[in-house]
Amino acid sequence: MQFPYPRKTSSPNSPFPPSRSSYPRRRSLRTLAPYLLGGVALIWLIVHLLSRTSNTSTAINFRPPGTPEVVIVTTLDPSLSPTYRANLITNRRDYAARHGYTAFFPNTTDYDLMPHIPDSWSTIPALRHAMTLFPHTPWLFYLTSTALIMNPALPLSTQVLDPKVLEAKMITDRPVVPPDSVIKTFSHLRPERVDLILTQDKEGLAGGSLLVRSGEWAKFFLDAWYDPLYRSYNFQKAEGHALEHIVQWHGTILAKLALVPQRTLNSYTRETGATGTEDRYQEGDFIANFHGCQRDTSRNCEEEMGPLMIRWRELRDQERR
Amino acid sequence: MSLDRSPSPHRSGGWSSPGLTSPFEETNGHSRSQNPSPGKRNGYGQLNGGAQPGVTWGSAKAKSARVNGYPSYQPQNQGFFGRHYRRLSESLPHFAHGGQEDRYAEKEKLGRGRSGGWSGSSNSKMKWRELPRRVGLLISRRRKGVALVLLFLLGLMIWFQKPLQYLYRRTSFLGGGSKFVIILAANQGGGVMEWKGPREWAIERDSVKNKKKYVADWGYELDIVDMSTKKRYAHEWRESWEKVDVIRKAMTKYPDAEWFWWLDLNTFIMEPSYSLQSHIFSNLNAHTYRDINLYNPLHIQHPPNGTSGDANAPQYANYLDPETLSPVGDGKSTSINLIVPQDCGGFNLGSFFVRRSAWTDRLLDIWWDPVFYEQKHMEWEHKEQDALEYIYTNQPWIRSHTAFIPQRMVNAFPNGACGDDRKVPEGGGCKTLAAGGMEGTEWECGIQGIHYQESERDFVVNMAGCEWGRDCWGEMYNFRQLSGRLNRSRWERVKDWWGESEEAKTKAKEEARKRDEAKGKV
Repeated sequence: MQFPYPRKTSSPNSPFPPSRSSYPRRRSLRTLAPYLLGGVALIWLIVHLLSRTSNTSTAINFRPPGTPEVVIVTTLDPSLSPTYRANLITNRRDYAARHGYTAFFPNTTDYDLMPHIPDSWSTIPALRHAMTLFPHTPWLFYLTSTALIMNPALPLSTQVLDPKVLEAKMITDRPVVPPDSVIKTFSHLRPERVDLILTQDKEGLAGGSLLVRSGEWAKFFLDAWYDPLYRSYNFQKAEGHALEHIVQWHGTILAKLALVPQRTLNSYTRETGATGTEDRYQEGDFIANFHGCQRDTSRNCEEEMGPLMIRWRELRDQERR
Repeated sequence: MSLDRSPSPHRSGGWSSPGLTSPFEETNGHSRSQNPSPGKRNGYGQLNGGAQPGVTWGSAKAKSARVNGYPSYQPQNQGFFGRHYRRLSESLPHFAHGGQEDRYAEKEKLGRGRSGGWSGSSNSKMKWRELPRRVGLLISRRRKGVALVLLFLLGLMIWFQKPLQYLYRRTSFLGGGSKFVIILAANQGGGVMEWKGPREWAIERDSVKNKKKYVADWGYELDIVDMSTKKRYAHEWRESWEKVDVIRKAMTKYPDAEWFWWLDLNTFIMEPSYSLQSHIFSNLNAHTYRDINLYNPLHIQHPPNGTSGDANAPQYANYLDPETLSPVGDGKSTSINLIVPQDCGGFNLGSFFVRRSAWTDRLLDIWWDPVFYEQKHMEWEHKEQDALEYIYTNQPWIRSHTAFIPQRMVNAFPNGACGDDRKVPEGGGCKTLAAGGMEGTEWECGIQGIHYQESERDFVVNMAGCEWGRDCWGEMYNFRQLSGRLNRSRWERVKDWWGESEEAKTKAKEEARKRDEAKGKV
């Protein structure tokens, strides 16, 4: 294309007279700006992400390799016969070894309880102690000394801990203390948010076998449960009634509680009180709990446990063969 | 196209043929405002050749019409832009390339020039689209205009300085004022239990006004709650634990707030110029202390080993985790959820802070329990305050998230409450002591300090316990006057100084006169 007149400037399109502005610099700025902005955004994103992770990665979330998934806690009365004691320990140790868990056996007299209160209160400091010993372990599993693990092939994750499993198993909108407590378990409960899993027997909450998720909430829950004023209150069933009390009076505890069917965690071998037959222990159940054998002076735990202990050994040996 | 009048012959010859012509503004219009010489125009037209698509009979005619001054034919009903085109274009800026617009027009038709609205067909819509660009150009070219606009904005800022400042201080990501809620407990024990007299009303009015002013300065939220004894609580044990419910309610009422500051009615903010952020929260670790052993009027044992205090304690007397055993928790300011001052008798809940968190939710939940209450209600004279002390002592999870704050920072007492004022050292005050590390019980300094110190300009005063044998209204009045005097503006200072000196002069004169009289008598 030819023009009739020569152009006056080399770049007639420029809206800026060259004398007034540093045109090339502006040009370079304009082309560089997206890259600069992009870079800044990237840095911000990285910083943001890093700060996020550092905030959430508390001691609980960070798990060094080799951390057991679950700590099994059983408090043992020092007056138990050595064989009975050894049986209980092998029963738990065997189960823990199969699934990469660990077991912890403090004595009921190891903790500084108040004078004149039942030794069963030592359950709570024992759990708190286990949390101190295994700070990165996510779950604590308390199993009373009157119970045996009868189906060691079942890992706790598929039994209750996996949120999907828990969602299917947990009982919502059920009176906490049967039959007619006005306080009911939450009907809209998210399984990921559950921090306390236990079962109910016909009398109330069955504290003989329970799972607590380690963390800030567990500290609160255990410390509150262990409060001296509860210990001195003379609850009829000691820590069992104290548990029922705090669950019913404190929403922050109730909100974290999931009830599961009794036979998933805590099958009773005998009918105690009004326990129905459908909740009784049957072969293949995870736990057999000889509930009440310690409290009831007419019963002897060791004797009662004998047959099932033999059965457990048979099953174990069958598997080994 | 409809015609409003019949086509008529033009005086320079030829007919306008509106049906055939392209509309008026379809010619390249961006340089319309120019007034080029007709001679040149003709030359261009010839040079470019009549066959060019843009140069139609209509457009050529329109151009000549413009040159002549009167459009031979004004098509009507062409929309707003068509009707006001000339006026608009006249007001637009003139560009440097005068007289060459046709060359540009040609170039752009070939698609070599600027893209977008400028190329090819430029109908009215396109012109509207390029308006912002023109405005941009105008601004960048006209520094004067920019300066004017800036000046205008500056004027606005000065004029609306107060509201703008308020907005800034309030916004959560700027000043952060909306992150703080002051809960003021009004009408304490009123209603059923007590009858309010004029003095009580005056106290309430003054206290509320003081907080309202403070909140208006810094953009915080103020929640005035009615603490009168209600039937709801009167029949229940829970009486006097309403604090818990009130804090919970405030937390739902202000869902974006982070810190909640409880203030009793008998408090007075002496220094409204202190913001909570600068006074406490921007450096929480420096302004608070976590270790109860530093100042421990209740003699709470830390670490909380066992409970029986037995000498031959069992094996695991101490089974707690290191964070709970540590006197300072994890030591990070982010883990502080409760900030409480301690007076000579222990925790004081006349002025304290809680932070919205899961931890606080648990604390508020466990604070009142029927079993605790049943066993302790005779002992717990200060009800929820004693209950908090109790759970702090006996439930280790509380400790790692609680911090204490020196009483004088948020809750200074007047002389008479909690013993007598021990004063601060003359000249330099507490600073001289802190340098030498001589903070003791001798002076009102450091974390031991309890009583209000005028020379140290303490933030808040709490006339705690004034309803028992002291004069609440008198104290409140005095502190209000003092606060006003301490925070005078410069002009008020000058005025006061003038007034005082005048007074002194008149007094001196009077005295002199008396002396003279006396002499005269003698």
